[in-house]
Amino acid sequence: MTSSDTVISTAGLTKHYGDVQAVDGLDLHVRRGEIYVFLGRNGAGKTTTIRMLLGLVRPTLGRVTVLGTDIAPGATAVFSRVGCLVEAAAAYPDLTVRENLDLQRRLTGAGREAVGEAMDLLGLSGSADRRAGQLSLGNKQRLSLARALLHRPALLLLDEPANGLDPAGIIEVRRLLRRLADESGVTVFMSSHILAEVAHLADRIGIVHEGRLLQEFDYDELRARTRAYLDIGVSEADRAAGLLRERLGLDRIERTPEGGLRVFVGSDRGPEIARALVGAGLDLTRLAPAEEDLESYFMRLTGGES
Amino acid sequence: MLGQVIATEFLKLRRAKITWLTALGIAIGPLLGGLFMWILREPGRAERLGLIGQKARFVGQAADWPTYFALLAQMTGIVSVVLFSLVTAYVFGREYSDGTAKNMLVLPVTRAWFPVAKFLVVLVWCGLLTTVLITVGFLVGAALKLPGFSVTLAAASVGEILLVALLGYLLMPPVAWIAALGRGYLAPLGFALLTLLLGMGLAATGWGKWFPWSIVPLFAGIAGPRTETLATGSLVVVALTCAAGVAATIWLFTYADNHQ
Repeated sequence: MTSSDTVISTAGLTKHYGDVQAVDGLDLHVRRGEIYVFLGRNGAGKTTTIRMLLGLVRPTLGRVTVLGTDIAPGATAVFSRVGCLVEAAAAYPDLTVRENLDLQRRLTGAGREAVGEAMDLLGLSGSADRRAGQLSLGNKQRLSLARALLHRPALLLLDEPANGLDPAGIIEVRRLLRRLADESGVTVFMSSHILAEVAHLADRIGIVHEGRLLQEFDYDELRARTRAYLDIGVSEADRAAGLLRERLGLDRIERTPEGGLRVFVGSDRGPEIARALVGAGLDLTRLAPAEEDLESYFMRLTGGES
Repeated sequence: MLGQVIATEFLKLRRAKITWLTALGIAIGPLLGGLFMWILREPGRAERLGLIGQKARFVGQAADWPTYFALLAQMTGIVSVVLFSLVTAYVFGREYSDGTAKNMLVLPVTRAWFPVAKFLVVLVWCGLLTTVLITVGFLVGAALKLPGFSVTLAAASVGEILLVALLGYLLMPPVAWIAALGRGYLAPLGFALLTLLLGMGLAATGWGKWFPWSIVPLFAGIAGPRTETLATGSLVVVALTCAAGVAATIWLFTYADNHQ
């Protein structure tokens, strides 16, 4: 990867708030034209990272480069090529949708036509003359996205862009981002805690937990990283688990929240397992090969129950 | 780009109800002054009206234009500073209350231009409010048919009111700084109230001439002629307060972390 392909790069990016380590030694590399999803639980450090990428928060340690510019409090020229949505959608409530976007247009130097285009793109034309304070949560989010896109930036930094959108809106925005990346080469760096969103959109995923980047991989790599298992529905799951350990020597067994078992072995061991359980007088209701999805993988990485 | 920033700062005020509320608020000053004049003209009513009557008697001896103008200048030193603080708290604090500061700071614009443009908006707004005060003052005075009017007196009095208003405006940068520091309206309004009370309290003491928030009401003549209540360096204190407030506000906009 050449440096001209790297749109965002951070080195040892760290932010402390007193004793709280919000972000800890983050090394990120986001490539031109990709959709990079920064995945993490609430409080994982996603928003603080985005704030540091935008120069809204100064790192305690480390360095941020965005579109070849070192981000520092005074370095604002680069923002003519960056569009962003940070945390909650916000707009001037007394101004209309059009007026809010016109402010952005004036300050980013975009052409007059940009306001109409941005409204069309986000389906806001019907609300152009409504005051932002009267918009629904979803339309406020659309307005914030329109503001971020208005000056046709090369890089979009979006913090939880699906917030407040209804399911149709989520799909619409997802398609829009995909189109911008594919057709216009826009790089999208977005944070999310919604795994389904990631699965549908990401080219590359960074999993952040307690301020640290745990994994970074292409979405296609996910399959290689996830584990295959047998999903078993059985009466007396504890007894069944003990039996499989003793008789078949299986040790990677987990209880599922539904009361079944997840046995991490290849599907070729299925018949043998079925015979052992039925032979011990247990009722076998399900035995199916399965594979960890992103959700399970994420929970495993971040130490939660799946 | 500063021109665009200034233009957008004015656009942000479009349809803001607070512009009309402050205009109504400042009109209360000359209306109250007119009420005092009216009471002064009829001492019998002043007695029956209790506190208002006593205050009115304290303010001046005659219900005429010179007394009324002096009263307007004093009111400018107090009422307008309260309203100017409200204006400043709104212009600076709204970016945090509305959550728009984080959007503003990631624009391809020198961050310092935002507070500079906002100070300009506050100056224009305060100028308009002072114009309302003066206009309503003239209308009320004319309606009361106060004696002793002359063009020379009117011009000098308008100049005096404008000067007091300008001094009041110079105390706004610390309010702006508190708004940015406190990220909203409440902190600067609390600060304005506190400094008003402290200013009024200290104005009665020997320290008043060195405390910025006492200097403006003293300059307006609330405790007698300013030649007796202020020192030569008093205005320098106001200027330094203004400069410190501007510098601190620009620093906050440029360098402080935004956690909105």
